[in-house]
Amino acid sequence: MKRLIYILAVIFIWSCEDVIEVGVPSEEPRLIIDALVRVDTTQTVTNVSVKVMESSSFFDSLQPVELDQITLAGQVLLQDVPGSGIYSKDISTQTLMQEDLFLAIDYNDQIFVGLTDFATAVPIDSLWQGPGGLIDNETELTVRFTDNAESDDYYLFDFDLQEFLTTRDQFYQGQSFEFSYFYENELAAGTEVEVSLMGATEEFYRYMEKIIEQSNTDLNLFDTPAITVKGNILNATDIQTISDLSQANLDSNFPLGYFAVVQEYKRTITIE
Amino acid sequence: MKRTTLLLTVIITTLFCSSILAQSKFTISGTITDSASNEQLIGVNIIVPELRTGASTNEYGFYSLTLDEGTYEIVISYLGFKTISQTLVLDSDKVLNFSLEENLEELDEVVITKDVERINIRKPQMSVNSLNISTVKQIPVVLGEADVVKSLLLLPGVTNAGEASSGFNVRGGAVDQNLILLDEATIFNSSHLFGLFSVFNPDAIKDVKLFKGSIPARYGGRVSSVLEIFQKEGNSKEFKVNGGIGAVASRLLLEGPIKKEKSSFLVGGRASYAHLFLPLFDIDNSAYFYDLNTKLNFNINENNNLYFSGYFGRDVFNINDNFENIYGNSVLNFRWNHIFSKKLFSNLSLIYSDYFYGLELDFVGFLWNSGIRNFNIKYDLKQYFNDRLQINYGLNNTYYSFNPGKIEPNSDDSGIVEEQLIKKYANEFAAYIDVQHDITDRLSLEYGLRLSYFIRLGQDELNVYANDNPVIFDPLLLIYQGAEPIEVINPGRGGELANFTNLEPRVAMAYVINDNNSVKASFTRIAQYLHLLSNTSSPTPLDVWTPSGPFVKPQLLNQYALGYFRNIKDGDFSFETEVFYKKLENRIDYIDGADLIANDAIEQVILNGEGRAYGWEVLLRKNEGKLTGWLAYTLSKSEQRTPGRDISEVGTNTGRDETELGINNGEWYNTPFDKTHDLALYGNYEINDKWRINSNFIYQTGQPTNYPIGQFEFQGLTIPYFGLRNVERLPDYHRLDISATLTPRKNKGRKWQTEWVFSVYNIYNRRNAASINFRRNQDTGVNEAIRTSIFGIVPSVSYNFKF
Repeated sequence: MKRLIYILAVIFIWSCEDVIEVGVPSEEPRLIIDALVRVDTTQTVTNVSVKVMESSSFFDSLQPVELDQITLAGQVLLQDVPGSGIYSKDISTQTLMQEDLFLAIDYNDQIFVGLTDFATAVPIDSLWQGPGGLIDNETELTVRFTDNAESDDYYLFDFDLQEFLTTRDQFYQGQSFEFSYFYENELAAGTEVEVSLMGATEEFYRYMEKIIEQSNTDLNLFDTPAITVKGNILNATDIQTISDLSQANLDSNFPLGYFAVVQEYKRTITIE
Repeated sequence: MKRTTLLLTVIITTLFCSSILAQSKFTISGTITDSASNEQLIGVNIIVPELRTGASTNEYGFYSLTLDEGTYEIVISYLGFKTISQTLVLDSDKVLNFSLEENLEELDEVVITKDVERINIRKPQMSVNSLNISTVKQIPVVLGEADVVKSLLLLPGVTNAGEASSGFNVRGGAVDQNLILLDEATIFNSSHLFGLFSVFNPDAIKDVKLFKGSIPARYGGRVSSVLEIFQKEGNSKEFKVNGGIGAVASRLLLEGPIKKEKSSFLVGGRASYAHLFLPLFDIDNSAYFYDLNTKLNFNINENNNLYFSGYFGRDVFNINDNFENIYGNSVLNFRWNHIFSKKLFSNLSLIYSDYFYGLELDFVGFLWNSGIRNFNIKYDLKQYFNDRLQINYGLNNTYYSFNPGKIEPNSDDSGIVEEQLIKKYANEFAAYIDVQHDITDRLSLEYGLRLSYFIRLGQDELNVYANDNPVIFDPLLLIYQGAEPIEVINPGRGGELANFTNLEPRVAMAYVINDNNSVKASFTRIAQYLHLLSNTSSPTPLDVWTPSGPFVKPQLLNQYALGYFRNIKDGDFSFETEVFYKKLENRIDYIDGADLIANDAIEQVILNGEGRAYGWEVLLRKNEGKLTGWLAYTLSKSEQRTPGRDISEVGTNTGRDETELGINNGEWYNTPFDKTHDLALYGNYEINDKWRINSNFIYQTGQPTNYPIGQFEFQGLTIPYFGLRNVERLPDYHRLDISATLTPRKNKGRKWQTEWVFSVYNIYNRRNAASINFRRNQDTGVNEAIRTSIFGIVPSVSYNFKF
C-alpha cells in the first residue's frame, strides 16, 4: 500500500532532482549481521551463509569483519575466503526446520545472540510477464500463489536486482492470489530473473517492511519518520541477569541486521 | 463542576446588574447588505463616534445596538465600501437596514477608517487573521490559481510543511488540528492534488477568517485553529455570471434572484484540465479535480431567512486503468436564521458532511474505500443586551461514523476476500456560553465556557489486551510492538466504549491605552476528540480519522497569548504583535515503522505523547494609498515528545526498573513543520486604473529533516540509519512571486468586465529543497544525497470575466 502513495506522489509533480553535497554525521561503527538463511526443503542439506560487516558513515564504504567465532543452530560457521566476512557451513535441513534456532557471535570481546523460528512458505503456482507500464515502461511480473488457509501468513518476495516486497494474507486468507510487481525500471529483454517466495515470521515481515521503506529511493512527498531499523540480534555482553538489564547498555551497542531462517520457493523467468 | 457554577453565577449576576441599570434605552437593529447584489456583509462596523461605541454585523449581516435615548451621529463603514454617515433620533426601537455601495474609486477618495480600526483596537478578540476575498484573488500564487489557504500562509503564525503538502499549520499545530468550516460544515480535507491547491473556489467565497488563538467558546473540537469560510448567498437583485480561464482550471459562477430581493441562488463550478501533470508520460492517464458550490437563500420575511448550501468536490486519478483513485468532500446544510426580537438573533443549522476516499488497484485485484461521515445539529443564539454586553450561547451535537476501510475484490478472478475493517461511531455534544462585555471605556472582556461531552459508541468488535496495554516494549531489542489481543469482544452498536467530559474556559481581554493603542491577552483551552492517523510529514488523502476511545485519549490544549495593537497615522498603518505559548496533552505518536493503512488494530501502534509550541508574531500592514500590503514575521518553535511509559502505567511487570525508551529516546523533537523564522512581505501597487502589480517575498528556515548517521546492508539493500529525529534542516526556503493585473480601459461603462492576470511564481528560479533523500545509485553503486525541488520558475496567465 505504501508504495502506491509513492507512485502517486511521483507522477503528479514535475519535480526536479539533483545530487548535492551534504555533510553527514557519523557514530562508532556497529556490527552488521546479514543472517537470512533460505532453505529449500526438498534438499537434505542447506548451505548456510552469514555475512558480517561493520557499519560506516553514509558516504564511506562498509568493511567486512573477522569474527572470533560464529555458531548457528549449534554448528560453527567458517570463513572460506579470508577477509570476505562471509561465514558458511552445510547444515542438515532437518535441523533448520525447527523453532528456537540460535545464533551466537564472538567478536572483539563482545557477544551477540539471536533467536528465531523457521518460517514456512508456499510454492509459486505461476509466474509470467505482464504487459508492463504502470506509469512508464516498467517491467511487470505477475505472480500467483495459494495461501495457506490454516494460519496467518507473512511472505517476503525477492524479485532479484535488490527488489523486495512484503505481503501478508490479511486480505486473501486461503485464496489463490495473484498480483503484479512492477520493477523500478524497464528490464532489458533476455535478462534472467529469479523470483523467490519466502516465508517470514511476523517480526521478520515487519523488519523487512521497514528495511524496504528506509532503502526506498523514490521521491516521496509523504516521508515517514526516519528511523534506525533494529533487528532481532542482541549485544548480550553486559547482560548479567535477564531480570536486570540496567547495566546492559543495550541502547548504545546494539548490532544491525537480522537472523531469520525461512523456507524458499524459486522460479526463474527470462524477460522478453 | 464547582468552577462552572461559579462562572455561571458571575455571568448571571452581571446580567442582572446590566438590566437594572438600563433606563430608557432603545435598540436599533437590522441587516447590512451590498447594494449591488444584496449580499449580506459580515463585520460591518456601526459606530457612534461621540459615545466611542458601536457594533458590528455578525456572520449573517445582522447587527443590534442598544443605546440611551438621544440623537446621535452614526457611521456605517466597511472596507472597500462607501461610508454612510447619518443622524439618528433614537426615541423608540428601530429597524435600520443599510445597503452599502462599493467604493470603486477608492484611490482618490478619503475613506474614514479611523473609527473602523478603533473598534478592533477595543475588541478583546485577538490572534485572528482575516483576509478580504479580493486580496486573496490578488496574491500571486503558483499557476495563477487564487487560493485561500495559500494566501493565509503569508500571514504570521501560519505555515505548511512544504510546497506540495496538504493543509496548513497554525502556531506550530498539526494539520488535523484545524477546524475548517465552510458555511459552518466541517471539511475534513482542505486540499486538492495533495496540497497543490485548496478545495475552496474563491469566486464562491465571501469571507475568510482564521482564529489562531483566543478561539471563542462557540467553536470547539480542534485544538489549533478555526478557519471559518462563508460562501456568498447569491445576488438577489440581478443575474450575474463570472468566471475565469486559468493555467490549471477554469471557473464559472452563476448567481441571481429567484424572486427579486427575496430569494437567490448561486452555483459555482471549477474544474481542472483532465491530463494535468501527466502529459509527459506516454500512457493513458488522467489526473484532475473539480468542485461545485451551491447556495439557495430565501428571505421569508423580516425575521426569517433560510439557506441551503452544498459543496461537492473530488480529485480523480487514473493511470492506465491499473490504478484509480477518487477522493473528496461533500457537504450539505440547511440553516434557518430567526430574529426573535431586536436583541435576540438565532440560527439553527442542520449539516451533513462526508469525506470519501476510494482506490482501485487492478494489478492486485482490489478495491478500497474509506471515509468519515457526520451529522451535525447546531443551535446558536446571540443576545444583544446593550452596547456593552452581548451574550452568545448555544448547543451543538455531532454524530460521527467512521469507515476505516472496506476491501473488496474488483473482479471475479481476484484473490481478494471482501473485508470490512471495523467501523467506529461516536457522538460529540457541546454547550457553550460566550460573553462579550465592556467593563469600562478602557477594559473589555470576552469570557466563555464550553462544555464538551464525547461518547465513543459501541462497535462490532473490540480487542481486549492484557492489562489494557495494546503496545508492548521489548526491553532486549528496544522496540515497540503490538500486543496480541487476549480476547475479542462484541460490545454492540448500542454500547459505550468510553466517554470524556471537558470544560473548556476561554478568556480574552483588551485594555485600551488610548485611541490608537491597546494590549490584549487571552487564555484558551480546547479539547479535540478526533485524530487523523498520519505518520508522514504531511497528511495524505488516504489517512483515516479515528475517534478517541479506550486507547486513544482526547488532545487537550492550553494556549496563552499576549498582544499589542496599534494604529499608526490614523489607521493608514496598523501594527500587531503577539506572543503565544501552547501546551498540548495526548498528542498521538506512532511506534517506529507503524503501518497505519488498513490497520484494524490501530491501538497497537499508537502511543500518547505531548506537544508544545511558542513564538512571537509581528504584522505591520499598510492599509491606505497606492501601495498597500504587509510585512509578517514569526519566530517560533514547535516540538513534540513521547516519553517511555512508567511500568505502573503499562501495568505489566517486565522485571525492569527503568522506564522504556519512548519515541526518539523520550526526548523532545522538532515537528516537521517547525520553522524558526518565517518572513512574508506582500505588496499591492496600483500603477493606474489599468495596471496593478502584486508581489510577495517569502523567507523561511528550512524544514526539519534527518541525515543518516550511518549505513548498513542487508540482502544487498543499502539502508541508511538515523539518530535522533529532525535535528538537521533543509536549506532555507525563499522565493519571490510577482503578478500583474490588466484591467482594460474599455471595461468602463459596459456590462462585460474582463481582467488578465499575468504571474510568475519563484521568479529567480530558486531550487528550494522539498526533501533530501539518501540512496545508493543503482547504476553507479555510489551513495548519493538527492535534493528534490518542486517548483522552479512557473509563469502563468489567467483570464477572468464577469457580466
